[in-house]
Amino acid sequence: MARVRLVEVTKRYGQTVAVDRVSADIAEGEFVTLLGPSGCGKTTTLRMVAGLVEPTEGVILFDDQVVNAIPTHKRNVGLAFQSHALFPHLTVAKNIAFGLSVKRRPKAEIEQRVNELLAMIELEGYGDRMPAQLSGGQQQRVALARMLATDPRVLLFDEPLSALDRNLRDTLKYSILALQRRTKKTAIYVTHDQSEAFAISDRIFVMNKGRVEQAGTQLDIYLRPATEFVANFVGDNNALRGTVVEVHEDSNHRRATIRCGSLTVQAHAPGSIAPGDRVLAFVRPENIEVLQDGASADEPGLIEGAVEQVVFEGPAVRLLVDADGTPLKVTVSGVQRLTLLDAQRKRLRLRLREVSVVRDEAA
Amino acid sequence: MSAAVAPTPTYRRALLAPRRISAGLQHAYIWLWLVLFALPFVTTTLHSLRAPEGGLTLESYRYVFGSFKENLLLSVEVTVATIVLNLFIAIPAAYAIVRHPIPGKRFILSTLNLALYTPGAVMGISLAITYAFLFDIPRTFVGLLGAYVVGTYPLMLVPIIVALRDLPRVYEEAARTLGANRLTTFFRVELPLLGPGISAGILLTFVIVFNEFLVTLFIAGPNTTTAALRVYNLTRTGFLPSTAALAATMQFVSFIIVLVFFKTFGSRYLKGTYLI
Ligand SMILES: Nc1ncnc2c1ncn2[C@@H]1O[C@H](COP(=O)(O)OP(=O)(O)OP(=O)(O)O)[C@@H](O)[C@H]1O
Ligand SMILES: [Mg+2]
Repeated sequence: MARVRLVEVTKRYGQTVAVDRVSADIAEGEFVTLLGPSGCGKTTTLRMVAGLVEPTEGVILFDDQVVNAIPTHKRNVGLAFQSHALFPHLTVAKNIAFGLSVKRRPKAEIEQRVNELLAMIELEGYGDRMPAQLSGGQQQRVALARMLATDPRVLLFDEPLSALDRNLRDTLKYSILALQRRTKKTAIYVTHDQSEAFAISDRIFVMNKGRVEQAGTQLDIYLRPATEFVANFVGDNNALRGTVVEVHEDSNHRRATIRCGSLTVQAHAPGSIAPGDRVLAFVRPENIEVLQDGASADEPGLIEGAVEQVVFEGPAVRLLVDADGTPLKVTVSGVQRLTLLDAQRKRLRLRLREVSVVRDEAA
Repeated sequence: MSAAVAPTPTYRRALLAPRRISAGLQHAYIWLWLVLFALPFVTTTLHSLRAPEGGLTLESYRYVFGSFKENLLLSVEVTVATIVLNLFIAIPAAYAIVRHPIPGKRFILSTLNLALYTPGAVMGISLAITYAFLFDIPRTFVGLLGAYVVGTYPLMLVPIIVALRDLPRVYEEAARTLGANRLTTFFRVELPLLGPGISAGILLTFVIVFNEFLVTLFIAGPNTTTAALRVYNLTRTGFLPSTAALAATMQFVSFIIVLVFFKTFGSRYLKGTYLI
């Protein structure tokens, strides 16, 4: 229910820079995830929004109000922790009621709200239990109810599902999304689980070493990684080092031709790429098409290679193809995969699709 | 057609299986110690019931409910006051030590615990000297209280430090995000969760202060004779049944207070984890 903005927010602990000039503009009702490896500053960023950590530099705004100086208990944010953090000495009902009772709401109102929330998390009749008497999934649901009880302006989640098993994670992440959609509250969700981030986000902020490497929709992040880190961190990727030979531009496309060793590939080129640039080209294993015999032999951009390894994984087959000395990972799914089970040592022709490029920082 | 039906295997526990013998020995061992622990109390009680001309009598206990009542009352008062004062000192001190980066933390802690390693007589003399020269409080209730607090606050401090160290900060943070300020968070979330540590501290302080006589010897006046000191003084004049009656009563009162304490707080807070 609030727009959340971070402007050049930095947090330093002595020499360590935990969060480095992070800026974000999160719209009212938007569901944003912070995705990144361990230690990249996700939790610190979230805790600064909650007011539990004070930024060294930068400004945090809820709507048009600077909240830097507002203490946590007056920010009206809901925070879900990795461990559910239910108060162990209070019953489920008292846990849910905590925020309202701190705000000295009338007893009748509190009771009604608690019952409403218990019904919403499908735990009617569990109000008198102690947290320790619930399963992990139930505890996390109670924690969600507790954080919603006071009608917070912003919902913050710090890997709330990481302590649960996979099945529970899969169902609960959609419950969280449904709750957020129903309440239309702005949500910031921290995770290092890509599939979680992809399933529930409106936008993903990929973080690395305290910085936001890229912010965008799932499709942006997946198909148009802005940096080498994002390309490698999100999903599986083939990285090809090369040089831009030429750039074609038409009304809505900018395509680059790149020489990578003996291979030539076509890629989507961002505006900053010019001929002569040293670049990294990325192509996802599942975006490589294996052509059937009889496809036109001299289509430009086709690549030929020998299959070195075939791994059957059930829904998909993974191939390792040697294309003139360049190893390529190829994933084939659908019925076509069944024709490739004995492809070992055969030569295949491949069409590389959705190739993305970033400038090669190492060069 | 009669297919051979295999008989259902059976198993009967042997009466003298090794496991049962060892279980029996374990029980016997525990009971042996229980009896040994209880023995002094039982003999003291029996001695207190002995009549001068032989046989059993409750005569000695009449004496107990005469003048000894005042000593007992004083003991309870000064013990409770010590506990309250210790709590006021130890809780903020524990927060400062656990939650804030203080240079030389270990050194400070060791110094604070010095009182625990000081022999009672040394403590008594130092206090008597200090009181006589620096304060005008020897032989008063305040003097007694001061001595006990100085001697026992580490017993309160250490269990609370341990409990606070083990208390995850997420509870505090969860409470803050739910709208509770520092004070509310402390009273509604942290204090109850520190219960085990605080209970342990209260219990230790109680046991030590209620039974303390050595330091008391140096600083008590005619109007500030505690029950423990009274018992000690009487034993010096011979071991009469009336003295035994005082001792037994003290032990009983001590026991009842601890029991009531466990009953009221124990089931909620003292589930054993933090007891040292
Ligand atoms: N209180 C602190 N004192 C010193 N350094 C800290 C503190 N909190 C975090 N850091 C450092 O800041 C960096 C970012 O930490 P943060 O907890 O935000 O990472 P994260 O992205 O949440 O990682 P994870 O996925 O492991 O939870 C780390 O290098 C960490 O060591
Ligand atoms: Mg974290």
